[in-house]
Amino acid sequence: MAVFKIGKVILRSLFKKPATLMYPIKPREWQERTRGHIEINEKDCILCGICAKRCPTLAINVDKAGRTWTIERMLCIQCGACTENCPKKCLLMKPDYTSPDVVKITDTFNIPETEKKTGKTSSGSGGAPVCDRETCIYCGICAKQCPCNAIKVDRKEKTWEVDENVCISCGICVDKCPKDSLKID
Amino acid sequence: MGKRTIIPFGPQHPVLPEPIHLDLVIEDERVVEAIPSIGYIHRGLEKLVEKKEYTEMVYVIERICGICSFGHGWGYCAAVEGAMDIKVPERAEYLRTIWHELGRMHSHLLWLGLLADGFGFESLFMHCWRIRETVLDIFEETTGGRVIFSVCKVGGLRKDVDAETLKKMSTQLNGIKKELQELTDVFMEDRSVKNRLCGIGILSKKEAEELCAAGPVARASGVVQDIRMAGHGKYLELGFEPIIETKGDCYARCKVRLREVFQAIDIIDKAIKEIPDGDIIVPFKGNIEGEFITRMEQPRGEAVYYVKGQGSKFLERIRVRTPTNANVPAMVKTLQGCDLADVPMLVLTIDPCISCTER
Amino acid sequence: MSDKKYMVQEFVAVDAGKILETVKDIKDDGYRLVQICATKKDGYIEMLYSFDKDHILKNLKINVPENEEIESISDIYWAAFVYENEMHDLFGVKFRHLVLDFGGNFFKVSEPTPWNPKDKKERK
Repeated sequence: MAVFKIGKVILRSLFKKPATLMYPIKPREWQERTRGHIEINEKDCILCGICAKRCPTLAINVDKAGRTWTIERMLCIQCGACTENCPKKCLLMKPDYTSPDVVKITDTFNIPETEKKTGKTSSGSGGAPVCDRETCIYCGICAKQCPCNAIKVDRKEKTWEVDENVCISCGICVDKCPKDSLKID
Repeated sequence: MGKRTIIPFGPQHPVLPEPIHLDLVIEDERVVEAIPSIGYIHRGLEKLVEKKEYTEMVYVIERICGICSFGHGWGYCAAVEGAMDIKVPERAEYLRTIWHELGRMHSHLLWLGLLADGFGFESLFMHCWRIRETVLDIFEETTGGRVIFSVCKVGGLRKDVDAETLKKMSTQLNGIKKELQELTDVFMEDRSVKNRLCGIGILSKKEAEELCAAGPVARASGVVQDIRMAGHGKYLELGFEPIIETKGDCYARCKVRLREVFQAIDIIDKAIKEIPDGDIIVPFKGNIEGEFITRMEQPRGEAVYYVKGQGSKFLERIRVRTPTNANVPAMVKTLQGCDLADVPMLVLTIDPCISCTER
Repeated sequence: MSDKKYMVQEFVAVDAGKILETVKDIKDDGYRLVQICATKKDGYIEMLYSFDKDHILKNLKINVPENEEIESISDIYWAAFVYENEMHDLFGVKFRHLVLDFGGNFFKVSEPTPWNPKDKKERK
């Protein structure tokens, strides 16, 4: 009979502990993959601005002259597009949510100046890349990866040129070149 | 001939998850006519194609509805992939099927809780939503979000799930199955529930076909119609059969949805055993030319996604036709001739998701 | 994916005057109405009607010049009144012989025909 069936469920609920979490008193345990909020590792940022271009809600603002990186916490939808596209992988998705507030929160981070590093990677404060014509094979990978479309490569004519006004010295081309022919001073 | 009065039902009502307005013309406690009107939650999301590129549009389309969120993301990605002729890897299709079935489970459990609350059975409402929390925790563990997942992308998926997590998912779901079995026995055999649901709002098979109903509303009247049989996702490979009941009343619709939850657990178990290894994304480039239509079986029925490109990054038109849109005529027809006290039950049994209807 | 039956795309262009006969033939064949969609183009509106039988879709494309009327198919498919009223409220498409005509009150919007604005100003 249905009475006995529901009696079993009721008796069990009487003697089990409640299923609700005692939330404000006991803090919540976050899972590893939870998309909570974005954090930036300031020393690695090169102010290339790719995250600001990829953000679907335009929550990120990159000020190259003032060397700041700003995010409006209430506009961010935690999609993760910025973390995936950052060339230096300095953006991280942390699992705890932005807590609710009565005013709109904007967080600004100052990006410190870095020393010019020698070697393959660029620091972002240099100029446009320089191509070594001896080793270059005109494959065009640098042109395809450039976020500002500053590089133009013609495979047949064997020409390689960069528009210095558009280049933001992010260094993606230097990283992706298969022959290590590019360098940023 | 009694006196006719007009009673407004909605837009705010305790049984409605989202606002819809119905003007009920009543004659002596019997509904003679029902006049719907919508528009309380229209956000004009389809018009955002003019501003967002087609790869970014996934985030907008997912947010059309919180309950059927994964289905919308998958449907849009499938339409764009069809237009550009991209073949998604096998592992991605299996994972998408698993997440879609999980979405179906959580949607039906939410609906069952609302139905029970609608006629006063509050403890069943609490139990159903407590069980649903396990499903939401699985979502959070695998995708990162409880309601909006952001895991579908044109060309594949953004996140992979390893074998250990899949095994854990299987154990948790089998635990839910036992609890759910007890609850359904209590609910379906109870005399007061049967009094309230049996014989109310009967939709015959011919009427369901005439009114072009979709989803469990049509399947409970004996119409065999399920897009999963046509072969989207991996359903045919997993041996899927649609669930049909013949009575056509509220009780039959309830039974179809409950049986679909159990079927979903079986499909997920099978998919976890058969999932192949491989990558989950395939690179692509270019823009969309031409148009494409694809269909998905959402928890509420058949949803249609139409995508039209114009050769640039921005699409010309997106159209999402959701199943509640197709069930509104069925609702209006069944409301004619019913008692005033049965109106909340009837409106709830078509599972209205008005935010999908109006986008 | 394109070898699956339900992915077959069939778009047929139909003249606006012949819509009733075509739809009556389709109904006799046993098709079910799936959706009606409108796209705004320069000077005219392109309507897309979709019908389905056995998981195969048949789509009809009809161009309606602005401010002209088109025959309603709600005599043949009663369920079409939902889509036709929505198109009327959002795009301003005029239908003749609509069986259940809400007269612009089906879809509550704050200004009439928001997807097809009457003034030609560029909207931000």
